[in-house]
Amino acid sequence: MEQTISSTRTLKAKTYILLFLMIALGSVGNTILDKGMKSLGPIDFSTRSAVWQGILHTFTNGTIWLGICCMLLFMVCHMLVLSWADYSFVMLFSAITYALVPLLGYIWLGEYVPIARRIGIVLIVFGVFLVSRTPPRTTQPISDRSLS
Amino acid sequence: MRTALILSFVVLTGTCGEISLTHAMKQIGEVQHFSPAAISRVLLHSLRQVWLWIAVGLMGVSFYAFLTMLSWYPVSFVVPATSLAYVTGALGAKFLLRERLSAIRWAGVACISLGVALAWADPMPSLPHLRNLYILLREVVFVAALAPLAFYLFSGWAAWRFFRHARAQALGHATDFMPPVSILKPLHGLDRGAYEHFASFCRQKYPTYEILFAVRNENDPAVPVVRRLIRDFPRIPIRLLVDQDRKGTNDKVGKLCLMAQEASYPLLVITDSDVRVAPDYLRSVADIFRDPRVGAVTALYRAMEAPTFGAEMDTMGSLSFSGSALVARELEGLKFTMGSTTAITGERLAEIGGFAPLLDMHSDDYELGRRIAQKGYRVELVPEPVEMEFPSESLHDYLRHELRWLIGLRHVRPGGHFGLLMTQGIAWTVAAAILASSWTASAAWVSAYLIIRLLSGYVIGVWGLRDPVVRRKLWLLPLHDLFWFFLWLVSFSVNRIEWRGLVFTLEKGRMIPVESRPQGA
Repeated sequence: MEQTISSTRTLKAKTYILLFLMIALGSVGNTILDKGMKSLGPIDFSTRSAVWQGILHTFTNGTIWLGICCMLLFMVCHMLVLSWADYSFVMLFSAITYALVPLLGYIWLGEYVPIARRIGIVLIVFGVFLVSRTPPRTTQPISDRSLS
Repeated sequence: MRTALILSFVVLTGTCGEISLTHAMKQIGEVQHFSPAAISRVLLHSLRQVWLWIAVGLMGVSFYAFLTMLSWYPVSFVVPATSLAYVTGALGAKFLLRERLSAIRWAGVACISLGVALAWADPMPSLPHLRNLYILLREVVFVAALAPLAFYLFSGWAAWRFFRHARAQALGHATDFMPPVSILKPLHGLDRGAYEHFASFCRQKYPTYEILFAVRNENDPAVPVVRRLIRDFPRIPIRLLVDQDRKGTNDKVGKLCLMAQEASYPLLVITDSDVRVAPDYLRSVADIFRDPRVGAVTALYRAMEAPTFGAEMDTMGSLSFSGSALVARELEGLKFTMGSTTAITGERLAEIGGFAPLLDMHSDDYELGRRIAQKGYRVELVPEPVEMEFPSESLHDYLRHELRWLIGLRHVRPGGHFGLLMTQGIAWTVAAAILASSWTASAAWVSAYLIIRLLSGYVIGVWGLRDPVVRRKLWLLPLHDLFWFFLWLVSFSVNRIEWRGLVFTLEKGRMIPVESRPQGA
């Protein structure tokens, strides 16, 4: 019994740590990519050679590679957490990013947040809270399944 | 309509991708250790999961469609609309992954999808990096779509070079290099025109040779035909061997082991039972071995006739395969042999350990050529293609055996199998035509594909192989490409093959009979 409780705790702990990393890496990666793209200035799409010059600039930019690295690490965390946790749990939990982006915009940049968006943010946070009340894993692990 | 289509596409491919990824990771099992080495091992293991690659493909397509959507509509519409994926994701998790979604989790789904829709419905700052990425990726698709066209041109050129050289050589070429030959023919049942196929080997203009046939048992329908052959050609030493003890899963290799033991001469020429050859065939094969660097000889082939639509598709398939073989020959030299002809000396065969190591291999002829090439010998082509009797197969039969071939290729040469992506002309052309900025540009892509594909098909099949079916039905080539593309996609997800009535799974190119697998393995 004790062992079950402690393994449930470990499972919860590692799930939340990885979800936190995932959300952090995903948001930071996206922001860095956005920043990198903006630092390049608007890409000229008028001629094909200009587009290819754009591609060259994009992939020789350190900031963009940093963003790509963050996104790759995000993917690694995503894969690892899915090796035990439910997809429906991970998918819903990571939706918190959609609330964080406008929220951080409000806190850091003082952006105006209209009423509909405020309600939306509250709903997302509440939804994630509900999901966190459910167990991260509801299926049997493969090793147990083959034994049964 | 367009909106509904792209939205469903983004949502469904994205959801299916995520579900495939989850399935792949669940197959690996719960990750317990988080040291860099342990994580690397998990990641390497995951790369061997077919479902992971399906997931990557689906998620990639979904992301690209999402970017396309962003280029058509404002982000304040795209993000709320795609929040539908929370609902489809939850349904997929419940019905496909068998997760238990409690009422609380369903309430979470409702709150989150509504919340995302509300939070992002108002005009938000746009996501410039995504919009730019869309246009950049579109350019990448255009460049990638040029790759199969270049491949077709190159294969046409390779065929022109090979056949021009072969024909120049054939003119006035008299050989005196004619070592004694043992022709080995493993049999299983009877093909249409079998007697004539076998008889063509008895009419060789060659001083010393013998023919060995091998069957599994005396009841094989090929036995009376071989006996008749022995009566009709008394001057040719012909022997019929019965290989009663099954040595491995590949029946053909079992027979080859026996025939190699029984063969009297140093040069072995193995051909499938449905092959018919010209009287100077053995001379051309043997002459290539004059060069001591040659380790094995193989042959391209053409159809004699195609009685059904399935057989016509098969002919188009072998035309494409010949093109790829000629490209491989130009780029790195051949590293495989084909069932149409595999000729090897006893000495070289001994160097690769005989036929025994191939007893459980699915693609035995491919493996033999590969092992010979690995030893540093060359694999060469006979100048003149042999003729093959294509069975009267239905389209379903054809699709099944092409799929079997693709699955075999994925196991023996995963890189080469994946590389077929860049030869999928029709798929890339359709992608480029959809993304093109105008109708004229779309039409240009389609025309370029049709012209280049048919032109290279003409050079390889009609001019080079002199295939009578290709001459009449060349226009079926794009249809073959379409079937081929879908089979290629399917071949990523299937591991089982059916061969001569038995079911096998493949592991590292070896055929494992499904029945004899231990329970729960």
